[in-house]
Amino acid sequence: MNAWDAAYWAFQTIAQPEAVAALALGVVIGVIVGAIPGMSATMGVALTLPFTFSMEPLVGILLLLGVYKGGIFGGSIPAILIKTPGTPASSCTVLDGHPLAERGEAGKALEMALYASCIADVISNLALILFAAWLAAFALSFGPPEFFTLILFSLTIIAGVSGDSLTKGLISAGFGLLAATVGLDLVYGTDRFIFGQTELMAGLNFIPVLIGLFALPEILAYLRRPTEGVGKVMDLGRHHVTWREFRRCLRGIGLGSVIGVVMGAIPGIGGAPSAFLAYSEARRISPNRDRFGKGELEGVAASEAGNNGVAGATLIPLLALGVPGDVITAVILGAFMVHGLRPGPIMFQQNIILVYALFMGILLSSVFLFITGKIAIRAFRRVADIPRSILYPSVLALCVFGAYAINNTMFDVLVMFATGVLGYFMMRTGIPAAPFLIAFILGPMLEDNFRQAMLMSQGSFTIFLRSGITWFFWAATALSIGLIVRRGLGRRRRPATAGGD
Amino acid sequence: MTTRRAMLAAAATALLIAAGAGAEAAYPERPITLIVPYGAGGATDIAARNMTAVTPKYIPVPILVVNKTGAGGATGTAFVANAAADGYTMMVARVGSHTVNPAMKANLPYSIDDFRYVGVFEINPVVCATSPNSGIDSMEALIAAVKARPGEITYSSSGVGSMLHLAGVLVLDAFGVENATQMVTHLPFRGGGEAARQVVAGNATFICTNSSALMGHIQSGALKPLMVTTKERLEGVDAPTAAELGKPELEVLVGWSGIAGPKDLVDEAYEAWVGWLGQITKDAEFKERMGALGSIVVSMTPEESVQFIRHQYEVFRALVDKLGMRVE
Repeated sequence: MNAWDAAYWAFQTIAQPEAVAALALGVVIGVIVGAIPGMSATMGVALTLPFTFSMEPLVGILLLLGVYKGGIFGGSIPAILIKTPGTPASSCTVLDGHPLAERGEAGKALEMALYASCIADVISNLALILFAAWLAAFALSFGPPEFFTLILFSLTIIAGVSGDSLTKGLISAGFGLLAATVGLDLVYGTDRFIFGQTELMAGLNFIPVLIGLFALPEILAYLRRPTEGVGKVMDLGRHHVTWREFRRCLRGIGLGSVIGVVMGAIPGIGGAPSAFLAYSEARRISPNRDRFGKGELEGVAASEAGNNGVAGATLIPLLALGVPGDVITAVILGAFMVHGLRPGPIMFQQNIILVYALFMGILLSSVFLFITGKIAIRAFRRVADIPRSILYPSVLALCVFGAYAINNTMFDVLVMFATGVLGYFMMRTGIPAAPFLIAFILGPMLEDNFRQAMLMSQGSFTIFLRSGITWFFWAATALSIGLIVRRGLGRRRRPATAGGD
Repeated sequence: MTTRRAMLAAAATALLIAAGAGAEAAYPERPITLIVPYGAGGATDIAARNMTAVTPKYIPVPILVVNKTGAGGATGTAFVANAAADGYTMMVARVGSHTVNPAMKANLPYSIDDFRYVGVFEINPVVCATSPNSGIDSMEALIAAVKARPGEITYSSSGVGSMLHLAGVLVLDAFGVENATQMVTHLPFRGGGEAARQVVAGNATFICTNSSALMGHIQSGALKPLMVTTKERLEGVDAPTAAELGKPELEVLVGWSGIAGPKDLVDEAYEAWVGWLGQITKDAEFKERMGALGSIVVSMTPEESVQFIRHQYEVFRALVDKLGMRVE
């Protein structure tokens, strides 16, 4: 059977009502689950999994893929409207999305998020279909030393999201690193900073920290001054993204998509670091650099492109190698295996029709995402009309629920409140929250990969120069730091000359 | 008329009997929570969800699968050890949480004796494998390489206290490598999938883990199997058994899942679960689904299960003490 025959039969398979309906339903479920803070896309996929057992393999897998894709976009809705990322991947969207919402341009931010998500999704899907084998081989060449240098480079993002003061950004990152060290040591299995608490053995959970850091400070600030902005309603407005604005953001979207595809193809990184990296790179090349973090549409576009670009690409290692890149693809791998299918090179030989049908379904998912997103924006726009005296208590209830639901324990709710107090203190002193989050995510990865590499080489540092990839990232890191230093010096010199005149 | 009255009487009696039976069998009267100490989508989680797909046939109340993850399964396991023993909080016990962790970790908030075991319901064979590029194509070659280059050979695991961590040195120890922990380097990764990937990519030399985690790589030729720990050879895996290599004692090295409750689990709930598990492990649908994942569904009596778990624990504990692997 040649490729065209396979494609023909695949089309016959996908063109059945159940398959298309499952995909559409999946996207709808995903957007809703993603939009609820604390319900991550991962949970959505895991909860949907049992329902797929009795379905045909293709139908079940399309349902799960729909939930996944919808969930990643859905997370941006609360990130923009109530400053609470619905999923970890959308935490970067908060940085510019929420300021836009406060200015009454939530509608515009949401639309941009949707456009960026859909475009990145299409690019990511095409990358999956066209370059799967090549990208998988590239991803496989990422061992601990390569990972270490990639993450080292990614840490330079901190400078990009620090706002006006790099010092405050570094303080924030320091807090994040400190919080990330809690838990069991990877290599020796010994306790670190758990103070005798069994619950702390697992480390601090990501979601409660995320909610505490972003959503709670707003609510606490409102508690202190409830009269401020009484009756003030965020106006979603009739603002739509204009063609000019869209064209301005295209560069960021393209860059974000490519970053998303590469980061997605490498197992174990995930949507959040990719979004932050896309954001910081888009900022670097943008003429509107200084407006980033204060409500710049390009920032929303880049971060959403960064996290949705991951969604199709994470399937690359799964389908091409049978290696799940993150928790979500691990669940999807489970769905394949329950149906007696084993993703990997063999599947391309034995079940090529299914693979092609999946590809077609994946392409279709971007369309469904666009339609569902449009409807969801209309539905959720009402959130912006709710007065704060009603909105904030509801958000608080939602936060508590979200923190509890992630692992069914009250301890996570306590963690959320504790981080909330820290977040409030940081907000009052002008310390940005984003570097905290980046350090919290990347810090443990940096440490793990450093120690794994050291174990591999029996303590020799030359392992960090073993491949072209490591050299590339060392150079990129040096370049990035060089640029930060130069800009910092430039900024210091400018006020001096101004004073001299 | 009389027939109608008789029928009514019969119906009433039937109702009474049903009601009486209902009152006697108080357990279960509300949904039962089944704790899975590992993440959604993992092998344990899928086993539990496969089970709940067939439980409506046998268990009259819903089973809620709840993932309580963290600390290599310790968080969820400790939760069940301290839960009410009324039978409404049960768990899926696992090789990692119930034999390896207790054998290795001194800082664990529970012990193997804190549970009442209903039974083991599935077993998954362990396969040791390496990358074809490593130049190692048999256990013999692996042992020779370890002895020739002490410390240079690495094996990957899904973390400290995982079955994979122990399996690597248990196998070497059985094949006569002395001070196995010093002779090989343990490379811990976060998760079994990641551990397997690193062997495929050549960043670690070998891995010993559940066949289900390696099957795809073995079929595609990305990994070369060296040994299986089952009594008979495994379909699709071209490697000798441990017994064929003269090490039948390695048959103790298998993954398993079972159902357990807190130590003081009430008899009523215990007996109900023993009955249900007996039915579930004979369910054709359940067997087929678990088989697709590389598991072998087993029907062990509670006594056999406890004996099996104990024996595995003791073998692991002895190795840990011998090699000084205990984590303080």
